[in-house]
Amino acid sequence: MSDERLELPQGTLDLLILKALTLGPQHGWAISERLQQVSRSSLQIPQGSLYPALHRLERRGWISAHWDSSDNNRRAKFYELTRTGRTQLKVEAEEWRRLTMVVELVLGMT
Amino acid sequence: MLNPLLSEIRFRLRALFRRDAMEHELDAELQFHLHQARDKLVREGLPPDEAMRQARIALGGVEVVKESTRESRGIGWLERVGQDLRYAVRSLRRNPLFTTGVVLTLGLGIGVNAAMFDIVDRLLFRTPAYLPHPDQVHRVYLRYQDRGEPRTESHLGYTRYLDLRNATTSFSELAAFTSRSLAVGTGGESREMPVSIVSATVFRLFDAPPVLGRVFTTQEDTVPAGTRVAVLGYAYWQTAFGGRTDVLGQPLHIGTWDFTIIGVAPRGFSGPGRDDHADANAGGPVAFIPITAYAAMTWTNRSPSDYYTRYNWNWMEMVVRRKPEVSLVAANADLSHAFQQSWNNEASLSPSLAPVDVARPEAIAGPVQHERGPLQSTVTKVAGWVSGVAVIVLLIACANVANLLLARSIRRRREIAVRLALGVSRRRLVMQLLTESLLLAACGGVTGLLLSYWGGAILRGLFLPSASVATSVTDGRVLAFALAVTALAGGLTGLAPVLQTRRPNLAGELKAGIRDGGQRRSRLRTGLLLLQATLSVVLLIGAGLFVLSLRKVQATRLGFDVDPVLYINLNMRGVRLGDTGDAQLRERLVDAARVVPGVERATLGLTVPFWDTWVDNLFVSGIDSVERLGSFTLQAGSPDYFATMGTRILQGRGFTAQDAVAAPRVAVVSQAMAQLLWPGRNAVGECMRVGADTMPCTTVVGISEDAKQESLTSSSGGHYYLPIVQYHPEGAALFVRMRQSATGAEEQLRRELQPLMPGDAYVTVTALKEIVGGQIQSWRLGATMFLAFGGLALVLAAIGLYSVIAYDVAQRTHELGVRIALGARVGDVMRLVVGDGLRIALLGVAIGGIIALWAGRWIAPLLYEQSPRDPLVFGAVTGVLLGVALLASAIPALRASRVNPNTALRSE
Repeated sequence: MSDERLELPQGTLDLLILKALTLGPQHGWAISERLQQVSRSSLQIPQGSLYPALHRLERRGWISAHWDSSDNNRRAKFYELTRTGRTQLKVEAEEWRRLTMVVELVLGMT
Repeated sequence: MLNPLLSEIRFRLRALFRRDAMEHELDAELQFHLHQARDKLVREGLPPDEAMRQARIALGGVEVVKESTRESRGIGWLERVGQDLRYAVRSLRRNPLFTTGVVLTLGLGIGVNAAMFDIVDRLLFRTPAYLPHPDQVHRVYLRYQDRGEPRTESHLGYTRYLDLRNATTSFSELAAFTSRSLAVGTGGESREMPVSIVSATVFRLFDAPPVLGRVFTTQEDTVPAGTRVAVLGYAYWQTAFGGRTDVLGQPLHIGTWDFTIIGVAPRGFSGPGRDDHADANAGGPVAFIPITAYAAMTWTNRSPSDYYTRYNWNWMEMVVRRKPEVSLVAANADLSHAFQQSWNNEASLSPSLAPVDVARPEAIAGPVQHERGPLQSTVTKVAGWVSGVAVIVLLIACANVANLLLARSIRRRREIAVRLALGVSRRRLVMQLLTESLLLAACGGVTGLLLSYWGGAILRGLFLPSASVATSVTDGRVLAFALAVTALAGGLTGLAPVLQTRRPNLAGELKAGIRDGGQRRSRLRTGLLLLQATLSVVLLIGAGLFVLSLRKVQATRLGFDVDPVLYINLNMRGVRLGDTGDAQLRERLVDAARVVPGVERATLGLTVPFWDTWVDNLFVSGIDSVERLGSFTLQAGSPDYFATMGTRILQGRGFTAQDAVAAPRVAVVSQAMAQLLWPGRNAVGECMRVGADTMPCTTVVGISEDAKQESLTSSSGGHYYLPIVQYHPEGAALFVRMRQSATGAEEQLRRELQPLMPGDAYVTVTALKEIVGGQIQSWRLGATMFLAFGGLALVLAAIGLYSVIAYDVAQRTHELGVRIALGARVGDVMRLVVGDGLRIALLGVAIGGIIALWAGRWIAPLLYEQSPRDPLVFGAVTGVLLGVALLASAIPALRASRVNPNTALRSE
């Protein structure tokens, strides 16, 4: 738990959740673990903000939820990308790339 | 892109309605997360308890996560409404007195309107049941000039109906109808019941297929005598035949004939008849019979072909269905043309009839509802006025409530300012205020419906004496109306406080103490008070006028007594005794009636005041045409007639037993008649000839006071009396004078007299009060309703004035304290506060008085010998209103004068 971990810019958590779900349905805990793993623990994702984000995404219809049993036979709420969610992911990922590119460009100015 | 919207709606609906389930799910989801995290930490070597603690810390507190998750679900507008509602309920419950006052005020306002709407709807707007396209169906009215006066009638004869039928092309259907109370059944079980007498075409006008059997056809409804068939009314079929299907083919004795039952009309069908007529009182007519059969049955005594060849009996009414492609103007022209032809036909039979170019006959296709046509009854006119009054009461109630809400919102200004400062949007605030007033209005609406449910029965009894007493709460139209009025009241009363929020001076409001809260009454509130005062003045003046008018009606000398007199009618039902036998039967009945306990006197009489009149040709030497001087109605009676009726003989004598059949003919004439025929002379001893100028002299032996014959308002030329033994004794009815009031004596008399009647014949007994009472109904109604509503308005206005002034005084405690500290006396403070209230009341009297003067000419026709600008009424109302204003402001003024400057100045 080093102090070098990055604070997540606002609005990017949604993008990361959508991305994490491209591999298939996942429950909240698994999503949080997956994000930690993939970012090699360099991202500080407050677990507490994960659930509000999940419910927000569900409300918008980008992900859907259902109850199922997990690996260890506990009942868990699984989230899954919807068609609109997939489209949205493409749009947002593209926007993010353009944004970072522009930011790079500006920072690279000499 | 419908999908996201749908999912959003689904999600929110779930959030709204399955709140518990969602809470439960969220809990399970977070528990699962915690367990997974704990397991992971345990695997890394932590003890379970510590692992759980760490897991909780990592999640950031279960309740916090839950709360922010809940928030991310979003608050839908429905949830906001729910919140506003809860908030409104809470704040209203905190002020039970205020809430009860407002709910009752609005309830009264809404209740009187719902009740009046019910009545006006029945009188004016509801069309007969089962009538498709009622806008194309018209009642036919005939108008012509009669001695230079326009006359409009809805009654016409069958011959006229046939003429109009044959000579018009604008109508797809023409139908004739009337209704009569006829004896139905045989022997002792027979009773007078409403029977609808209709042409066969009536059934084609309606879309009312019979529930059983069939209706009669045009082949069964032809001159001369139709076919003796009957279609039962649904309600009568249920009550008298238990709804049995084997009634078809059975005989039903109606009037003097046996009719064969051929069908049953659908439930609630009562034909084109008037709703307030006898039809409605026991669930519609007992039966429908062909109009030609009824005509033949009734006129067996005369030449049987008379009813469809002559024009002298106007006994039925007519409805038509206009072809959709024909305009109303064209239809009227067509109908008028046909009426003129028919008029010529009539003129060829009776040469004395005024020619077409003098009488100018025209026909009018009016609305199917009788009360909307040219012959609208006074009761309906009064009902219209009273509805207007009800609206005014509602306006006063709304003004009152708006003022109270306004006062409240001014008191809540700080609270509102704080909430605005905390970031509540103005829209949200407005919604909250509106929710509150709509909630109040809804409670008021429910109260109002309850009030109209109980009060409505009384009102219906007043306006629609014979209508079925259906509950108004179950009536969809009344409910819809009440809902609309409630929404309107909610909006109106909510408007004022909302307007108040438009002045945002947050910093000022927050800094200001309560004492600055209402330093000046807003113009809006003064305006509302003024409105209340003005409207109350108008209503009270109306009430005063109607009350004086009613008192004049009641004080009017009719020319006979009403209270102790009973009228006994003989229904012979085809029993023939001959002229002598009929006269003897009547003598026996009079003798029997005289010995019934409680009876003071009994007499025979030919006509009934206000019901029918009798005229005969009259000749007086020296006068060319007596008719030109006026119409003279006659009554024939026994020697006891004048004493029984209470008609005073002013000069000469009444009749005695000596005025027998063979004795010299004598007459008593009314004062007005004496002056018209023998001006400046003593009429006693003069000679007139009745029936023909070849008849022997009928000598005037007495002069009586004038008596109203047709109605309270019309004064016919005059009236004269003949001894009944000398004039048609066989057609007489009986009048009985009781020692006390006649009320309740009807049944006793009927029981005593009925055994004397031969065969199926029977007697009916009616109090004269009932016959005459109908005439003064509209005045009594106007007086009662205006007085009730005017009183209500006054009470509401007084409460409004009181609450506003009391509130002002409370707000001005500080200012008044300063005044008293500076040396103001009790009287000064009183004058200050009371003057405020009186100024508004005076202005209200002035404006209301002007409105009442201006409206006077429309209300004048509804008053009886009463000027709509009676200074007595105007003065009394001014006094009452000023008195009430004085009282309403004196109580708070007294409180103001007791302000202790010390406490007042220190309180802030």
